[in-house]
Amino acid sequence: MSRHAKTLEQQYGIPTVGIAAANIVGYATGYDFLYTNGCPIRYAALPFPVAGQPQSVLKQYIEGKDPVSGKPVMLVVVDALTKPLTDGEKIKGPPPEAIPEPRLLPPDTEERLQHLFKDKGWTDYYPVVLPTEEKVAGMLEGTSHYPDEVVKTVNWPGGARPLTVEKAAVCAVMSGAKPEYFPVILALATTVPFGNSTTSMANMILVNGPVRRELGMNFGGNALGPYNEANAVIGRTLTLMSKTAGGLRNRETTWSSLGSNLQYNNLCFAENEEELPDGWDPLHVQMGFKPTDNVVTVGTGWSAISSVGSVQHEYPAQMLMRDYMKSLSALGSSATILMDPTVADLLKNAHGFQTKTSLAQWLSQNVKKTVSSYWGNAVVASISEALAMQGLEPYKTWKQLPADAVIKPFNNPQGIRVVVVGGKSQSTWFATDFRMGRGVLIDDWK
Amino acid sequence: MKKIFPLVCCLIVLVSFWAVTYTVALSGQKMPESRPVEMITVLNPAVANRMADRSPLAPRPDTLDGKTIYMIAVNWGGPQAALNVFEEMQSWFERNMPGVQTVVRLKKGGYDVDDPDLWKEISERKAAGAILGVSG
Repeated sequence: MSRHAKTLEQQYGIPTVGIAAANIVGYATGYDFLYTNGCPIRYAALPFPVAGQPQSVLKQYIEGKDPVSGKPVMLVVVDALTKPLTDGEKIKGPPPEAIPEPRLLPPDTEERLQHLFKDKGWTDYYPVVLPTEEKVAGMLEGTSHYPDEVVKTVNWPGGARPLTVEKAAVCAVMSGAKPEYFPVILALATTVPFGNSTTSMANMILVNGPVRRELGMNFGGNALGPYNEANAVIGRTLTLMSKTAGGLRNRETTWSSLGSNLQYNNLCFAENEEELPDGWDPLHVQMGFKPTDNVVTVGTGWSAISSVGSVQHEYPAQMLMRDYMKSLSALGSSATILMDPTVADLLKNAHGFQTKTSLAQWLSQNVKKTVSSYWGNAVVASISEALAMQGLEPYKTWKQLPADAVIKPFNNPQGIRVVVVGGKSQSTWFATDFRMGRGVLIDDWK
Repeated sequence: MKKIFPLVCCLIVLVSFWAVTYTVALSGQKMPESRPVEMITVLNPAVANRMADRSPLAPRPDTLDGKTIYMIAVNWGGPQAALNVFEEMQSWFERNMPGVQTVVRLKKGGYDVDDPDLWKEISERKAAGAILGVSG
């Protein structure tokens, strides 16, 4: 919102005031102003939450006091549009130089450094391996890239923070990574930071290609659990990079309401390519990579629903997936199904799904929910409703349907990803709402 | 005898401990020193951040009386959240500042999508101000 306000103020000379809940105002006038917007937008605050409140409560909000300033809300609004500018609000030009960060920290004891790293918010509050010059140099042996090469300039949330190969190596050492993991970590670094939203999202990290075996990643039994070093450490490193170069600080730059425990490891695992049924391609091959390419793919989402028990012949897996996927938001027609190899075998050999794509198409055609349930999700409403208003189908039609009309919310089967993982000790699966991004070639970072 | 035996054992241990301590003290021997604390140097994980370029606010009018202000729903949490708030704001202006004309508009696209046509309309109508909302 600050960006639109800045456009009106700066390009069109229109005095503007933003209206936001109190939790947003602190961010907008603090970090967002300093590092993203640079324009000291005036705000009036309302109590939180605003969305979903009955009209009677909103009337009280408007006639009540701004919880940040303590003044009547509408007085703050009128003042914001009419009060003369302060000297600080007239400042134009480049900001002060960024305070440089020294490459080395002052020498200290291990115990005090561990405390320092925690106090600075650089860790996940588990102990870290301290990044001595020797250890970081060892990590850099894992890549041919120069230490000062910028992998990504991280500008979300705000600012511009160059994440170099060396800074990534520092995080890799901290998380306990081996040098051979480093190319995967550098490929991951191109995706920093992880999902950051008040809605408490999380990430999923999927590795494909021969590198899975070379690194000893787990794609069999308990692949999603805490039973494998590479899975654990690679996933943890994304979190540490997001907290250092990503600049994520609780209640300062990240405002997730509940947060997500998945962010400790970011659901890092590999696909069980060896156990894919014939005709079922690994995810990276579906994306257009070669089978011999090594690829890491990061997805963002919130939820996973488990089949809990094994597949039953009388009510096969695709039917239960269909039922459970009704509970997902279907935002952008996105879902990722994680299934044990035995489920994939049954779907292919007992139920005729010759490819992952055919299963995705079936789910796209058969998962249904009411229009009111679809639009009842605020994130869907924010994004898809705006598309409906622009006339984009099918959202425009869905918006015009009566509340109890039934739609197929996963209208794009390409948004439904299927990943085979697990150890064939139970025919179970997870239906998740994770939206997988574009794969990143790990081989580019060797 | 069974009751006395533990007491005798304890006494022997205490006397032995005293004797050893006394002997060491008499001989002037020093107790072992604690090892020096090892200082280590590590790389700094922090990455320098750059602030945004500063830009000023637009000059403010003395009054809104007789002027038009726009209320723009930005589509955060769905458009209805803001429209409901603006309904109450319009009502407030009618009751308390009837000289202010209010116009409600829904910005196109999601909350982060630009809408130059709307900004242009606001500018061409010579609006005295804009209220953007609602986030949260």
